[in-house]
Amino acid sequence: MNAIFLLGLVLLGLMLLVGGAQGISNFLALLANTLLMILAVILMAGGFAPVGVAVVIGLLVLAVTIFMSTSHVQVATTAFVAALLVMAGVVVLVVGGTWLSHTAGFGPEDAEELEGYSLAIGVNFEQIAMASGLLGTLGAIAEAACAVAADVGELGAAATPAALRAVQETIIGTALNTLFFGFFGGFSALFIWFTQLHYPWLQVLNDQLFVGELIQVLFAVIAVALTVPITIWVAKRRA
Amino acid sequence: MTKSCSKTTWVNWGRWLLPLVAFAVVFALARFSAPLYHAPIVQVTALTSSHRQAVVDNFGNHDVTVTQHVTARWLNTKRRGQHVQLTNQYTKSGAVDSPVAKGQQLFVTHGSRTWQVSDHKRDGVVLGLFAMTLTLLLLVMRRRFWLTAASIGLNTLLFWAALHIEVASHQELAFVLFAALAVAFTVATTLFITRWTWLTVVVSTSTILATAAAVLIGYTVFAATGYRGIHLETVKYVTQAPQLLFFVQVIIGSLGAVMDECADIAVALFQLPGPARARFNAGLSIGRNVMGPLIAVLFMLFIAETLTEAVLWLRNGNAISTTVAWVMGLGFAQSLVSAFGIVLAVPLTSGLAAWLAKEVRA
Repeated sequence: MNAIFLLGLVLLGLMLLVGGAQGISNFLALLANTLLMILAVILMAGGFAPVGVAVVIGLLVLAVTIFMSTSHVQVATTAFVAALLVMAGVVVLVVGGTWLSHTAGFGPEDAEELEGYSLAIGVNFEQIAMASGLLGTLGAIAEAACAVAADVGELGAAATPAALRAVQETIIGTALNTLFFGFFGGFSALFIWFTQLHYPWLQVLNDQLFVGELIQVLFAVIAVALTVPITIWVAKRRA
Repeated sequence: MTKSCSKTTWVNWGRWLLPLVAFAVVFALARFSAPLYHAPIVQVTALTSSHRQAVVDNFGNHDVTVTQHVTARWLNTKRRGQHVQLTNQYTKSGAVDSPVAKGQQLFVTHGSRTWQVSDHKRDGVVLGLFAMTLTLLLLVMRRRFWLTAASIGLNTLLFWAALHIEVASHQELAFVLFAALAVAFTVATTLFITRWTWLTVVVSTSTILATAAAVLIGYTVFAATGYRGIHLETVKYVTQAPQLLFFVQVIIGSLGAVMDECADIAVALFQLPGPARARFNAGLSIGRNVMGPLIAVLFMLFIAETLTEAVLWLRNGNAISTTVAWVMGLGFAQSLVSAFGIVLAVPLTSGLAAWLAKEVRA
């Protein structure tokens, strides 16, 4: 049996045990996101403008993640509205940041892997980098928006400015940990490469892959830092 | 009265411009950083001419290659201030190269006869975005910012030290070392979140147990299926022991998410009155609501990274199924094994917190 298929089955079993019906809904959300990301790749390779594809698929990813993993409709609607507002801002940030950073395409460390490939393939790699920059932040936006909407909903009448501030600081603090370790995990192999070859730190600071990865995480951190106050604002207006 | 009121409103809204100001200041300062570098750097002063040529590859992809002739001024080395003629070749797709424009700062190398553009200078944009992020976090987190920054700084130091030990030991200790690093990360970060209380014990124990269980289950599944469909040779930037690096990536990558979830549940349960059974159930219901979005955070982060390569594969005549299996496959496997940890952490933390909260009170 295919190992990834079996991993998926095991996850379905665990989610069913721990989460019951909601666990199944969570599993279906992950499955839907998987199909959406594969669809995004196919559309981009098929010649559609990558940033446009990312915005449309991104809306669907947000909707799936927020509505299928939260049981409370009021919470989900607040989170979704806030996430849409944040995504609009993040598009500008990611497009500008990627354009300035020249991190699109592949780095010199990828050279060996690219041997034998045709690289003049008539797609816009800069736009693809913008698309992946945007899509990479969406999970973090959805998570923060759901967490804030749920907490504010629970506070109800007790939502004083001080209580809201505490919610804001806690949620951003924990989201930072998630993103920070995600960054170190995904990039440990390249860090070992840098250390082994004794890259001077100024070279690392200008290295295309390092900069590309670091700004991806910074985009996500900025997105979360904006999501929290915006979700509180939306929740107050809807209350 | 109204005047002072509107003044505070302006200050209130104006502070949200500070992150942009921080970006601009750092970005501008980095324009003058060339003398710090040994590698030769130039700034483009004019584009003199360019030559375009249409190309078609074996798969019928149409593209354009462009040769730019560029005049630039040296920003460092002995030639500082002098001008130089450069050439830069790029394809319009920009897979491994990109156009240059007036005002950009570039690293150059000496080719067989002429100087050629080798890379862009990126310190300004990365440090600028870093400053922007820090300023924004300071605005939204205030005092808690310093605590979080200290925790992340300490973890970065631990990571840096572990990398150097790992490389110095010729990667023989790799698994033991990274497992120890994961434990150190967990305890250090948890201490910053919870101070030194029973919460620390609950959060770090359940984080470590959940992550270890996830890796164990993942490893068992791989072994049982004979790694069918898992292309470990596609682990990037690894020359030896790709399997080891895969698990290291999973462990460190999911640690933050699992820790946050455990802290969320444990903090809530310690404040809850009632018998252990009720507390356990309350923990499960908190966990159910957070596990889905947490899995999505890691999934989107891991899969978005594979987009560029996946498009390259598809345009090079590979089937969709081949591309998904070979390019995105490891990302899926990584997300799924991380998801095990996130799901398992829910009953583990709930159980441990429900049981210990009773002990502590008794």
